[in-house]
Amino acid sequence: MATPLQLGFQDAASPVMEELVHFHDHALMVVYLISSFVLYIIITLVMMKLTNKHAHDSQEIEIVWTVLPAIILIVVALPSLRILYLMDEINNPHLTVKAIGHQWYWSYEYTDYKDLSFDSYMTPTQDLTPGQFRLLEVDHRMVVPTESPIRVLITADDVIHSWTVPSMGVKMDAVPGRLNQTTFIPSRPGVYYGQCSEICGANHSFMPIVIEAVPLKHFEDWSTSMLEFT
Amino acid sequence: MGNETPARLPHVRTTSRAQSLKLKMLASQAVMRGLQRGLWRALSTGRCVQAAHGKEVSADVLDCSQPQYCNRLDTPLPDIPFVRSLNAEQKKLKEKEKGPWTKLTKEEKLALYRLSYELTYAEMSKSSNEWKTVIGAILYFLGFTGLVVWWQRLYVYGDVPQTLSQEWVEKQTKRMLDMRTNPVQGISTHWDYEKNQWK
Repeated sequence: MATPLQLGFQDAASPVMEELVHFHDHALMVVYLISSFVLYIIITLVMMKLTNKHAHDSQEIEIVWTVLPAIILIVVALPSLRILYLMDEINNPHLTVKAIGHQWYWSYEYTDYKDLSFDSYMTPTQDLTPGQFRLLEVDHRMVVPTESPIRVLITADDVIHSWTVPSMGVKMDAVPGRLNQTTFIPSRPGVYYGQCSEICGANHSFMPIVIEAVPLKHFEDWSTSMLEFT
Repeated sequence: MGNETPARLPHVRTTSRAQSLKLKMLASQAVMRGLQRGLWRALSTGRCVQAAHGKEVSADVLDCSQPQYCNRLDTPLPDIPFVRSLNAEQKKLKEKEKGPWTKLTKEEKLALYRLSYELTYAEMSKSSNEWKTVIGAILYFLGFTGLVVWWQRLYVYGDVPQTLSQEWVEKQTKRMLDMRTNPVQGISTHWDYEKNQWK
């Protein structure tokens, strides 16, 4: 989850997010270079005492400021396309979970082997125990096994929602009447938080997503106990 | 949308009460806009404000169909000399200028310069005191905003949630460290788990 006054990304919890973080560092460096160069030009323009009112054309600089941006764009585009295709690779998921958005909660269905489904409501602020995170905790978390590709099929029951977990690098709209698919691989065990990312009514800010990534043995124990419980 | 009134036939009631109210609103809006424009012009480019900042202010009326004299750093040679009509003494000086310049005294050279140009380069590029007014206005408005924010905090805002109390934040931080949030570069990397303290 994010810490107070955080500006950058949360630490990556999946390989795709790691790639995105590295790409962001690379693209941001390009942006810093361009911005500082432009800032230098602007300051020089303002402070300059010399004036030339009779410049007509200059072929050399026109060539430079056409070719150089093309090169910069290629330098940014190549890693970007690499990650784009990487995200779409065939990866044979070990588990399929369905996430359905409602107003205003998520419901999860694990139907690979048995029928396990449950709702995931936000814990109201007055019901939190000391130390829990306001507007982020839920009553039933989506538990997944670590180091396994997980396929998530996302849809909605009423209006458009969006299912996202920033530390996994995953965001997909939940559109009624449509099934969207995304996959992720939790690299390490932990609890990862996200919030609904498409305006969906009064309680749009109060329907968070919580993923609990645990070793496979614990996942099996959890799913057994959930089946008994529900 | 200007403040044109619709054409009226004298014997026909064409405007209802709502329409006349709308016209009054448009008229008063136009008056306000005109006042604002005039106020801005007076503040930024009015002669008294510019003079107070130490800038040179010309009192003449411009006829832009004729070649103009200008004091510009990027125009070393204006279209016309500054003084067009010379008195007798100045005409004598101009005659003397046609001879060898080594015969001119320093005062005569300066006088000739002032005939052709109003200001020297040093006088033209002299800085003004405008920046003090700008900084002052910025600080004034920042201060005013601060007052508004403080008043809002006192009289408008309600209580913050209990999750922002010192005790809760401590428990929350401990929980975040226990669940190893952001263990790569984030908060968990700043905690020494052996010594149970911040690094």
